[in-house]
Amino acid sequence: MLRKPAWAAFVIGLLMTSGCRFADPESTTTWLFDPATPIAEEVRQNFWYTASLIAPFLILAEALLLYAIFRFRNRAGRKPAAFHENVKLEVFWTLVPAITLVMIAVPSFRLVHKITHVPADTELEVQVFGHQFFWRYEYPEYGITLSDEPLVLPANKKVALTFSSVDVIHSWWVPAFGFKQDANPGRVATRWVQVKPGYYKGQCAELCGALHGVMWIEVVALPEEAFREWVRARKRGEAPSIEELRAMLSGPQVAKQED
Amino acid sequence: MAQYIEQPLTLYSRWPKPLAVLVDWLTTTDHKKIGIMYLLYSLLMAIVGGAMAGMIRSQLAVPDNTLLRPELYNEILTLHGTIMIFFVAMPALAGFGNYLVPILIGARDMAFPRLNAFSFWLLVPSGLLMLASLFVEGGAAAAGWTSYTPLASKQYMATPGVDMWIFSLHLAGLSSILGAVNFIVTTLNMRAPGMRLMEMPLFVWAWFVTATLILVAIPVLSGALTMLLTDRLLGTNFFKISEGGDPLLWQHLFWFFGHPEVYIVILPSFGIISHVLAAFAHKRIFGYPGMVIAIAAIGIVGYLVWAHHMFTTGLSTLSLILFSAFSMVIAIPTGVKVWSWLATIWGGTIRFTTPMKFALGFIALFILGGMGGIFLANAAVDFSLHDTYFVVGHFHYVFAGGTVVALLAATYFWFPKMTGRFLSEKLGTWVFWLFFSGVLLSFLVMHFLGILGMPRRVYTYRPEFTSLNQLVTAGYVLQLLAGLLLLFDIFRTLLKPKQDLPPDPWGINEVQKTLDWATSSPPPPYNFERTPTPDQWRYEPKEQAA
Repeated sequence: MLRKPAWAAFVIGLLMTSGCRFADPESTTTWLFDPATPIAEEVRQNFWYTASLIAPFLILAEALLLYAIFRFRNRAGRKPAAFHENVKLEVFWTLVPAITLVMIAVPSFRLVHKITHVPADTELEVQVFGHQFFWRYEYPEYGITLSDEPLVLPANKKVALTFSSVDVIHSWWVPAFGFKQDANPGRVATRWVQVKPGYYKGQCAELCGALHGVMWIEVVALPEEAFREWVRARKRGEAPSIEELRAMLSGPQVAKQED
Repeated sequence: MAQYIEQPLTLYSRWPKPLAVLVDWLTTTDHKKIGIMYLLYSLLMAIVGGAMAGMIRSQLAVPDNTLLRPELYNEILTLHGTIMIFFVAMPALAGFGNYLVPILIGARDMAFPRLNAFSFWLLVPSGLLMLASLFVEGGAAAAGWTSYTPLASKQYMATPGVDMWIFSLHLAGLSSILGAVNFIVTTLNMRAPGMRLMEMPLFVWAWFVTATLILVAIPVLSGALTMLLTDRLLGTNFFKISEGGDPLLWQHLFWFFGHPEVYIVILPSFGIISHVLAAFAHKRIFGYPGMVIAIAAIGIVGYLVWAHHMFTTGLSTLSLILFSAFSMVIAIPTGVKVWSWLATIWGGTIRFTTPMKFALGFIALFILGGMGGIFLANAAVDFSLHDTYFVVGHFHYVFAGGTVVALLAATYFWFPKMTGRFLSEKLGTWVFWLFFSGVLLSFLVMHFLGILGMPRRVYTYRPEFTSLNQLVTAGYVLQLLAGLLLLFDIFRTLLKPKQDLPPDPWGINEVQKTLDWATSSPPPPYNFERTPTPDQWRYEPKEQAA
C-alpha cells in the first residue's frame, strides 16, 4: 500500500528503458547496454559492481524503514522503547560502509587511471574542437578537416582524441564510449578510444549557449578497408553523407562501384 | 499573551491599527517575526521558482517544442536553479533557524537583533534584482546557476542580466554571511545558564555547523563573483584565456563554495528530521553524540570534495582519485545519520501525523538520493554520468526529496507553535502523497534518462527520450498539485481565528524535553517568562561540578 507509486514508477521506468532499447534501433547507444569501447565495457562492469555493493544497503535501509513503519505503529497499550544508544551498533554501521567504500574505490581508481592515460601505441590522432554550436575534427596525419560533419574513425584501432574549444567550454560526449571530456578553450586534454565498428550518437554535454541542446555528435567507426577508402574519398574532395558512411559499414563496395 | 502578533508594541499604539501592525513588522528586530518573514519570502519565491520548473517541464513535454526560445529556456533554467537555492531553500532554513534557535537554547533573541533584521531585508533588493533581470534588454543570465565562464563573460553574454545576477547574489551572500555570524555568536553565547554544547538540540547543532560553512564558503563565492564582475565591466582578465586567465579558476572557486552550499541546505534539514522523528516515535533521538559528530564530519569533509563537480574538466589522475575518495567518505557520516534515524523510530510508538509522514518520506527519498551520489562520487562512472540527467535526478532527490520535504515537515510541525493554529491533517495527507509520489517519479525517471544518454540543460532532446520525459512532467504535475494545496491550506488556516493551544500542542515534550514546547504557542515577546532551567532540557540530572 505504502510504496505503490514507487514500485509503479520503478516498473514503468524499467519497462520503458528496456522498451526504448528494443523498439527503436536508432536509439542512442549507451555504455550501459551497448558499450563500444574497452573503457565503456569496464565502466559498465564497474557500474554493476558498484550497484551490487550498494544495493544491500539500499534494500536494507528501505526495508527497515518499511518494517518500522508497519511494526511500530502507535497502538493502544504499546509502550515506546527507551534505548537511545548502542556503541557497538554505531561502530558497526560506521565500519561496514567504510569497508564497502574501499571495495568500490580500488577498482574504480584503476579504471580512472585507464581512462586518463592514453596508451603509447595509438595509431591515429584526431583533434576535436568545440564551436558554438558544432564540432570540428582535424586529422593532422591526413590533412582532413570535418566541420559539422560526422566523425569517422577506424574501427578497432586505438585513436587518440585531443579536445579543445575555440570559444566557450563544450563537452564531447558519446555515451557508448564510456566517457565524456570537456573541451576547454586554451587547454588541450587527451583521451583515447578503440571503437567497435558501428554508428554512434552523442551530443554536447556542457551548457555552451543558446543552441547547446542541438549540438549533436555522430560517429561512424569504419572497418579498416572502408576507413582507408573514406580517407581517399575525402582527399579527392568528396564528402560522403551519413547514409553513405553507414552503408560503408558493411564493406567498401559502395565506393568501389565508382572505379 | 498569545495575542502578541496582532498587538504592536506601545510605540505605535496611537496609530490606526493596520498601519501600526505594518510598521511594527517592517521595523521589527524580533527573531520570531524575522523568521516568519523569511518563511513568507521563501514561500513567495517558491511560487516563482516552481512556476519556472513548470515552464521547463512544459518545454520538455515533447521534443522540438517551440514553447520557449532556446535563449529563454536557458534563462529560465538559470533562474530556476538560482532562485530555488538562494531564495527558497536558504531563506526557508534561515527562517526556521531564526525562529527556533534562540527558543531551543532558551535565549530571549538572537545575539544581534538589528543585524538579523538587516540580513532579512537585504534579501528584498536581492530578489527584486534577480527577477527584474528577466525584463532587461538581452534577458537574464543564461549560463546556468553555476555560470561557467567564458559563457558568462561579456564576450558571450553581453546582457546586463548577468551583472544583475551577480549583484543579486552579492546581496544574498552578504545576507547569509551576516546571518551566519549571528547564528554562531548566538549559539556560543546566548544559551540558557547551564546548557552545555552537547545538550543542545540537534537542530541547533545543525545550524551551528551550517553557519560555519556559510562563513567560509560564501565569501569565496563573493570573491569569485567580484572577479567575474570586474572581468565583465572593468576589463580585468581573471578568466579571459587570451590574456592569460583561466576559465577553470572560476570552476574551482565556484565549487569551493558550491559544494559546501549543498550541505548548507541539507544539514539544517537533517536537524529538522531528527526532531520530528523523535517526537512522533515517542523516543529520544538515537545516538545523539554520533549525530553531532556526523554533522560536523559532513561539514568538514564537505570542504574537500569540490572538484568532484569537475571530473571531466581534465584534472590530473591524482586529483580525480583524491576527490573521488573524499566524496565517497561523505557517505559514511551520512549513513550514520540514516541508521540513527532508523534506530530512533525502532521500537517507538509511531504516530502518523503529517510532519511524521514527511519525515519518513524524507528518509525514503534521501536514501535513494544518497545511493545515486555514490555512483557520481565514483569518478570512473562519473565520466559517463556527469552533466547528464542522472545528476539532475540525484540532486533533486536530495534537494526536493530532502530539503523541501524536510521544510514541509517543519512547516506542519512548528506551524501550531508559530501561529497557534494547526494545519489540516486531512489536506496534509494529500499534500504528502502528491508531493512524495511526484518527487519519486520525476527524479527516478531522470536517473534513467541520464544513463540512456540525455545531457542536462538542453531545450530539446532526441525522440527516443520522449516517453520518459513525459513521465518526468507527469511527476511535476503531482508536485504542483501538492504545492497549490499547501498554499491554499496555509492561507486558509491563517485567516481562521487562533485556537487556544497549550505550549505542547502535539503532546510530545514529555520525552523530547526541548524548549520550543516549553513556552506558549505562539511564544511571548522574549520567548520565556522565566529563564529556562536545566531540568527543562536535561534527561537525567547530572552531578553539579563543585
